[in-house]
Amino acid sequence: MMLMLPTLAEPQHFSSLEKLLLAILVAGSIYVFWLRFSIVLGKILNSKNDADFHLFPIGPRIRDFFSEVLLQSKVIGQRPAAGVAHALVFWAFCAFAIVTLNHCLSPFGLGFLSPSGFVGRIYFEIAAVFAAACAFGIAGLFVRRFFVRPKWLGEKLSWESGLIALLIFLLMTTYLGAFFTADASPATRALWWIHTLALFVFLPIIPNTKHLHLVLSPFTIFLSRGGFSQIPPLAGDEDFGLIAGTDLTQLVSLQAYSCVECGRCTEHCPANNTGKILNPKQIVLGVRAYLKDLGPASAEPLLGKYNSQEAAFQCTTCGACEFQCPVGIEHLPILIGLRRGAVNTGTWDDDYGARLFLGLERGSNALGLSPSERDKFIARQQLPSFDGTQEYCLWLGCMGGYDPKGREIVADLARVMNFLGVTFGVLRKEKCTGDPVRRLGNDLLFQQLAEENLASLAENKVKKIITICPHCVRTIQEDWKEFGTPPPIEHHSEFLARHLPQLPPVKDHDKIVFHDPCYLGRYRNVYDQPRAVAALAGRLVEAERNHERSFCCGAGGGLTFLGEETGQRISQVRAAELVATGATTIAAACPFCNSMLRDALATDEHAPELVDIAQIAARRLP
Amino acid sequence: MKIIVAIKQVPERDAPVCIDAAGKWIEESDLQFAMNESDAHALEEALQLKEKHGGEVIVLSAGPERVATTIREALAKGADRAIHIICDDLQKRDALGLARLLAATAKSENPDLVLTGLQSEDLGFGQTGVILAELLGLPHATLILHIEKTDSGIEVKRELEEGWFQNIQLPLPAVVTMQSGGNKLRYATLMGIKRAKTKELRQIPAIELGVASEPTVLLEKISWPQKQKATQMITGSAKDAAATLVAKLKTEVHVL
Repeated sequence: MMLMLPTLAEPQHFSSLEKLLLAILVAGSIYVFWLRFSIVLGKILNSKNDADFHLFPIGPRIRDFFSEVLLQSKVIGQRPAAGVAHALVFWAFCAFAIVTLNHCLSPFGLGFLSPSGFVGRIYFEIAAVFAAACAFGIAGLFVRRFFVRPKWLGEKLSWESGLIALLIFLLMTTYLGAFFTADASPATRALWWIHTLALFVFLPIIPNTKHLHLVLSPFTIFLSRGGFSQIPPLAGDEDFGLIAGTDLTQLVSLQAYSCVECGRCTEHCPANNTGKILNPKQIVLGVRAYLKDLGPASAEPLLGKYNSQEAAFQCTTCGACEFQCPVGIEHLPILIGLRRGAVNTGTWDDDYGARLFLGLERGSNALGLSPSERDKFIARQQLPSFDGTQEYCLWLGCMGGYDPKGREIVADLARVMNFLGVTFGVLRKEKCTGDPVRRLGNDLLFQQLAEENLASLAENKVKKIITICPHCVRTIQEDWKEFGTPPPIEHHSEFLARHLPQLPPVKDHDKIVFHDPCYLGRYRNVYDQPRAVAALAGRLVEAERNHERSFCCGAGGGLTFLGEETGQRISQVRAAELVATGATTIAAACPFCNSMLRDALATDEHAPELVDIAQIAARRLP
Repeated sequence: MKIIVAIKQVPERDAPVCIDAAGKWIEESDLQFAMNESDAHALEEALQLKEKHGGEVIVLSAGPERVATTIREALAKGADRAIHIICDDLQKRDALGLARLLAATAKSENPDLVLTGLQSEDLGFGQTGVILAELLGLPHATLILHIEKTDSGIEVKRELEEGWFQNIQLPLPAVVTMQSGGNKLRYATLMGIKRAKTKELRQIPAIELGVASEPTVLLEKISWPQKQKATQMITGSAKDAAATLVAKLKTEVHVL
């Protein structure tokens, strides 16, 4: 069978002039590439060190590299059509590395693969399959970019993308064409030279365009901070966050130069989708433009000409951007870094923000209510005090302790825990975990709140925490680590899912849609447990955007405390999406989502019932 | 302009207070403390005057060791230096006794302007600032929302009843007691706290000031106010409840 396949034709003899020309072309192209690339590399390397960067444990890095780079899992998983097309191009490039090396060496008699040899022949046949797939893939991407024109790729058509697509297409077709010509024919020689020219025109274009991701993104993915929205600790007494070029770290600069401008971040951004000015792609490109123009030694502010403060404070920290990014850019540390710079120096001037900060400087909760209100609720519900003998410390959080709906959820969770015979107690005093101030960039307040709470947990000898609020879970478990060792904490959805077999098996016949909270899904990777609990009420349906693509409720990042949004309300967009499923019940698993959706549904007379999964579980009790 | 701001540390507004065994003061052991709110507004006004016209803002406070946290907060917000009069018996001193301590310290600084809150949230005498003016022999104005510097001194905006305001001209030096709410307060920042570490905080034991500590007014007894419950629950659909709420805010509470 194999003998029937055409073989790759190669020119058999090169004149001295041709060899000289080739040598000049290779040297010139590599020289220009290096000239341009070294500037980029210099800016990255001259950026500040990442104080908290650790290469080890290296296992997860290798795993991510394998999955996200080699297998293109994220590229394909989150945007299948364009993703497959891209993967075909990527894999062809990998396969072509050896073909190209051989291609350039063979005129000098240094070729190591020959179409007439056994290995060479097989390899060239395989590469041909990749080349065909790549030509097909790049043609598809070209059509998409220049004719379909999805809006997140940007308004302006990029001529350089067109040129690159053309060059890649040429590279592949000239390679494939040589399977249908004879070694000695002039056509073979012409194809060989067109292929060579395309290659060496392509190379120097890379460093000055988004195609730099070819070189950088494998490193970016491998070297990422790990974790999700991993906010680096401030280093030393003069670090207040991202204020100027001198605050940009090597990772931030590497990430900024890696952006491939695909716009997945913007496509999924709740702020951008509801008419706000925040565009996560532009934030990254703003940092890149800053680096290009001013470099990492500049004292010019990052917020101003290159990025807008208003945009930075429109982020709900839902993390859709960071989750989506196929080249390993960590948007949240950048966005929150910009906020830290503005808040830690007092340059952010916002009435609502100042009120939240002043309230937490003096008080204990983000809602600005008296702690005696929490005491009254505890007394009314007869919630036991934590005394060290119980299994769980039930962390109320601001919403659970002060918000009417949050209190209902806590009360129902307590009923279920009592039914299961699981012991728990609440702390006599509890302060806000600092989630809203952490996300808004107020490091002073966050540290104070984290330290006070950690001390109180240690004093009470708490071993395990359970809470209804995914924001508390995330902040306690991950963000407090900077200041101590928090006890393990779990979200009530995880607890309830584990105890499902012990709950009475009454099945209702509602049609339920579950709204994934960002801080439970993308932040904690918990998707199935709350669904399992919600399914107690009947049949689950999914909203258009669900699981890791879930759309934010608009509350996160401290935004619920910052007053009216510009543009559409995020909560209303999400609520409409949930209502459109035709569900009779909306199940939530976060008191903030609950509060946002409650308001968004308030004007709809026929709105589905909105409940927390703890309430679904509690209703099954005798 | 050299401005002294006299601030007081008081129990946090939401702190769960208990009356102590003697019935003459509150139990302080389990309390958290904060800057008296109208003093915070006095500090804000001083900082804004300094930002506009230059000069120096000096924070002055009397009280036990714990007061240092509130002083540091003031330094973090932008005051240049601070003087802490150490005295552990503040609640036993009356307004005159406290004003004597403040006056003895303020005098040596020769300030252009002395600001303080119109009253404290714990004792609420509303007199300390006024007596301080008398002891320093300076003109004063009370219940002030804003201060403008003029060629001859200052012009202040004074809050009267029923939404009326009064504008008054004062020569400098002067003492002004500030009303809450004239300015937006600034929040404390990490940079401010770090900078504050290097600022001067001078401690003076009260005893060194050589002023009389015997009170002229004695606190006899403190007690809880009578409880009144006026909560109304509004029921019905969101639409109806909102309409009822608006009606009540208009006709019963008169805030709309």
